[in-house]
Amino acid sequence: MQPQLAQLVAAATQEAVAVATRAELEAFKARVVGPNGSLTQVMKGMATLSKEERPVVGKLINEAKKSIEEILAALLVKVENAEIAAALGAAVDPTLPSPDAPAGSLHPLSRTRERILASFRKLGFVVADGPEVETEWHCFDALNTPADHPARDMQDTLYMPKAFRSADAPRKADEAILLRTHTSSVQVRAMLSRQPPFRIVAPGRCFRRDAVDATHSANFHQVEGLWIDRHVTLADLRGVLDFFVKETFGADAEIRLRPSFFPFTEPSFEMDLRSPNLGRLSNRWLEIMGCGLVDPKVLELCGLDPDEWSGLAFGLGLERIAMLIHGIDDIRHFYNNDTRFLRQFA
Amino acid sequence: MKVSFQALARHLDLAGVTAERVAEVLPMLGLEVESVTTFGLAPLPLVVVGEITSFVPHPKADRLSVCVVDVGDGAPRQIVCGAKNFKAGDRVPVALPGTRMPGGFEIKVSKLRDVDSAGMMCSSEELGLGKGEDGLLILTPRQPVLGTPLNALYGAPDTVLEISVTPNRGDCLGIRGVARDLAAALGLTLKPLTVKTAAGLAGAPSAADAVKFVRASSEFCPYYTLRTLKNVQVGPSPAWLRRDLEAAGLRPINIVVDITNWVLLELGQPLHAFDAQKVSEGIEARPAREGEQIVLLDGKQVKLEPGVCVIADAQRPLVVAGVMGGVDAGVTDATTEVLLEAAWFRPGEIRRVARRLGVSTDSSHRFARDVDPAGVELASRLATDLLVELAGAQVVGPAIAVGQPPRADVTIELPAGYVTAKLGTPVADADVSAAFARLGFTVKLSATGFSVLVPSFRSDVTRPIDLVEEFIRIHGTDKVPAGRPIAPLPGDEDALTSVFTREVSARLVGAGFTECCHYSLRDAAELERTLGADQAALVAMDNPLTAEQTHLRASLVPGLAGALALNLSVHADPRGLFEVGTVFRPQADGTVREFLSVAFAIVAEPVTRSWKSREAFDALRAKRLLQDAAALAGVTAVRLSFAAAHGGLWQADHAAALVDRGRAAEGACGVLDLRWTRSLGLKSSVIAGEVCFPRSAFAEARKIPRFEAFSSFPPVTKDVAVIVPVGVAAAEVESRVRQGAAKAAGKEFALESVNCFDVFTGPGLPDGHGSLAFEIRWRHAARTLTDEETNQALGVVIATLEKGTGWTVRR
Repeated sequence: MQPQLAQLVAAATQEAVAVATRAELEAFKARVVGPNGSLTQVMKGMATLSKEERPVVGKLINEAKKSIEEILAALLVKVENAEIAAALGAAVDPTLPSPDAPAGSLHPLSRTRERILASFRKLGFVVADGPEVETEWHCFDALNTPADHPARDMQDTLYMPKAFRSADAPRKADEAILLRTHTSSVQVRAMLSRQPPFRIVAPGRCFRRDAVDATHSANFHQVEGLWIDRHVTLADLRGVLDFFVKETFGADAEIRLRPSFFPFTEPSFEMDLRSPNLGRLSNRWLEIMGCGLVDPKVLELCGLDPDEWSGLAFGLGLERIAMLIHGIDDIRHFYNNDTRFLRQFA
Repeated sequence: MKVSFQALARHLDLAGVTAERVAEVLPMLGLEVESVTTFGLAPLPLVVVGEITSFVPHPKADRLSVCVVDVGDGAPRQIVCGAKNFKAGDRVPVALPGTRMPGGFEIKVSKLRDVDSAGMMCSSEELGLGKGEDGLLILTPRQPVLGTPLNALYGAPDTVLEISVTPNRGDCLGIRGVARDLAAALGLTLKPLTVKTAAGLAGAPSAADAVKFVRASSEFCPYYTLRTLKNVQVGPSPAWLRRDLEAAGLRPINIVVDITNWVLLELGQPLHAFDAQKVSEGIEARPAREGEQIVLLDGKQVKLEPGVCVIADAQRPLVVAGVMGGVDAGVTDATTEVLLEAAWFRPGEIRRVARRLGVSTDSSHRFARDVDPAGVELASRLATDLLVELAGAQVVGPAIAVGQPPRADVTIELPAGYVTAKLGTPVADADVSAAFARLGFTVKLSATGFSVLVPSFRSDVTRPIDLVEEFIRIHGTDKVPAGRPIAPLPGDEDALTSVFTREVSARLVGAGFTECCHYSLRDAAELERTLGADQAALVAMDNPLTAEQTHLRASLVPGLAGALALNLSVHADPRGLFEVGTVFRPQADGTVREFLSVAFAIVAEPVTRSWKSREAFDALRAKRLLQDAAALAGVTAVRLSFAAAHGGLWQADHAAALVDRGRAAEGACGVLDLRWTRSLGLKSSVIAGEVCFPRSAFAEARKIPRFEAFSSFPPVTKDVAVIVPVGVAAAEVESRVRQGAAKAAGKEFALESVNCFDVFTGPGLPDGHGSLAFEIRWRHAARTLTDEETNQALGVVIATLEKGTGWTVRR
């Protein structure tokens, strides 16, 4: 019996080498452990053995069976591996570059805008908007700008023809329609439509009749802020701007308020910034934005009682801030859309 | 305005105060200093007087001379020089090696075209003395001693501050106004102005006056004064007067004109001098008459707009009031009798007239910003003092005045605590009073606070809030601490336009697109392509600056197509580009509406080669991005349908127009007009998409989705393939499939989805036909659907598809 079993295991071992597919595996399995398999036949022969022989032979058969099972298990792994390899194809070289395009990127002005808005949101300012084509009333009159103010001049401001009618900025009377010169017009819309107290910040596109050069652009972007409440003070203005500047330019940035003049704020200031982290513009005062307390006349023009309500307002140039943050020296880069520029800020 | 340090020192004692300090203090008062320059000869210890003892032409350069120069140190030196205006024996300034010139250039011993040169002989301009004669500054006529430092021949230099004066501060368009602010800031006292000419005005000319009448009949001239001065000797002004004018950037002309200009600079009050002998009978400030003309001092002949205020004699207009004089009655060297005008004109009118004439003069600039009516007579007297002293003029009597000063000092009641309330930090009453007193305001304590008398030179200060600004200017903004921390106001949300912009940008960035930013102002050709000529005219501006920027943009796509072309031309792979921004579109009712637009564009063929190719971007991928973008704006896919786009930016048969059943969104996607994109230099076709929304689409807050329960039983899926004539839109077929499938489900179970999974044309189908196959999925909420039910349902779908359409369902 023993030699017969040993031969059986040796034959199976030899035969197993040729098994490569699942079908061959099944056939092989049938030949050895199937109903008519070689091992099954031997096991059937057990019945003819004597009581004394059985344990000895049984042990031998179990050993042979164990060997066969090991062969089958190894074959199953081999066949599965072959199947997986066939399903997956050749191995991947992980060092090859991905053929897919990388993610795109936001425009540096958008990134800067979102960064600025995020810092004002922390102070409870929410984003407001308004039309880019505005009535002269919203852009100038309601902001206490004298009728003969140079900013209204055809030389400096872009106007639409008399026949032009805007669906978004209908005329109040027969005033001109123009391309807004500042986002301050959103202040007016906010005061007319919202119930104070409120705090808004309004990013948007503005236009001036300027020839394009390194620092001028026919359109540019501003971020306007307005806080209307009871008892808004100069200290509040300083607090808000100080927070914004430290958020945007780092904790070691400092500000100063330099008296200035705007028709819609009183007192009015230019806010200067000084920071050690601005490359060649480090450690000197840089003019960043105009700001002030809302002129009582403006509150009145926008339907708010200046004895009850007060406010602060500010407006900054988005391009200017982006140029400072990133060390960009020419405003035209923002509008050229050369991807070698755009992708630097991803 | 240019103000020199020495000029300021005439009005306050600046001992111990440097020009640098002044330049630091003025900006914090609201007087921005744009530049600080040296006027006169800066300290240049190594620039000395030298004599050119001999010179020969440079052996290698025709234009240069090799000079031997003696600077009195016993060691004549060789200097190469490019100037031609000297002769041997001339004395000139010599910058010795080591000198740093006013332009920053350092003089060194060097070689010029192989010839040694030990210094530089200087021109007037090189020394910072302004543009003199061409070539070297020849000192020979002054007979200076050799080796004398040049500074010994010139006075001490002055510092000139160029100040940008904001429109509200007309008072600072005179040196005394700037000095007053500076004195207030530094705690100094403004020196009193001493004038010898007696005060007092006459109502009409006397026999001694050179005119028979002085009248003012223009509404724009409420106050006019005129004074006669006889025996005037017109000639050049003394050196100090010329220097003062030059420091302020004015050119000396003659003593009379120079004195009027000097007083203008000093007090901010413009004056005008007439040659009395050229004036016929009298002077009147009157409205210009129809057809009148004048030749202005700048040589321009202008037709006067009727009603404009002119200063005229009995016959003709002599001056456009407050703006510019004419040539007819100007002072010349032959003048002996002068009429000196000092007046007040309405600021708005002066501004209007100056702008209309296209001129801005020192005079119009100041009148336009409201000069001090109380300063009119003072300026006339100060100029008279100088005419008497410097031009030998004789005063015949008081000035003749017509009208009244239009403004006087104003009293402002400032409630107690008002300044503190506006500043948000406590300030002492004494500090408030002191600040106002330093500005020349008179402060009295009243029962309710302060009573502040503001002199007429500060026309910008009329309300309590204006006084707050005055206080903070003098007190210092740095003394206001940062305010209280603030908490958000509940219920306020960002405008949905802003939320959408952020979200849609993130979606497109994630899809590999790079954001662009183009000008809103475009040229006519682009708008005509986008909208057609008729509609394009509706978005044209009235006063464009350039021919490239005449219209408002109606689409972001042309900008993006241009950017693709630009990037390819510079060998940068643009990949996909996108932009979010406002576009302007004419509406059926004739208005123009603003839309918030999202657009993207990409070249169909990949630009960068890759070891493994990917499926190209096509019109239907553009459609997916468009639908996603619309969904972010609250415009769901069920509201949208797509129809063939025609004309304009889009290529026929390869682009689709988006139709929103909610009539909010507009848009299109697909291939851009190939002829157009090729004309831009783009070889491959361009796939683009644009969807835009009116502002009203963002008016309502977004709804928060409510949970809907879903079935836990398996769905049943059936396929149906329909043969339809080519040209039948897939959406039409799909719509019928949906219709039938929904009808079949009825109220018993639900149609879950219809999905087109195969589109086929080719063998096996009738000519001119194609096949579309859809997978329909139904599901029951409470049990598994039976075969019988679903087969029956499929029967309903087939019947719906075939009934009256001529289509066949493949069986």
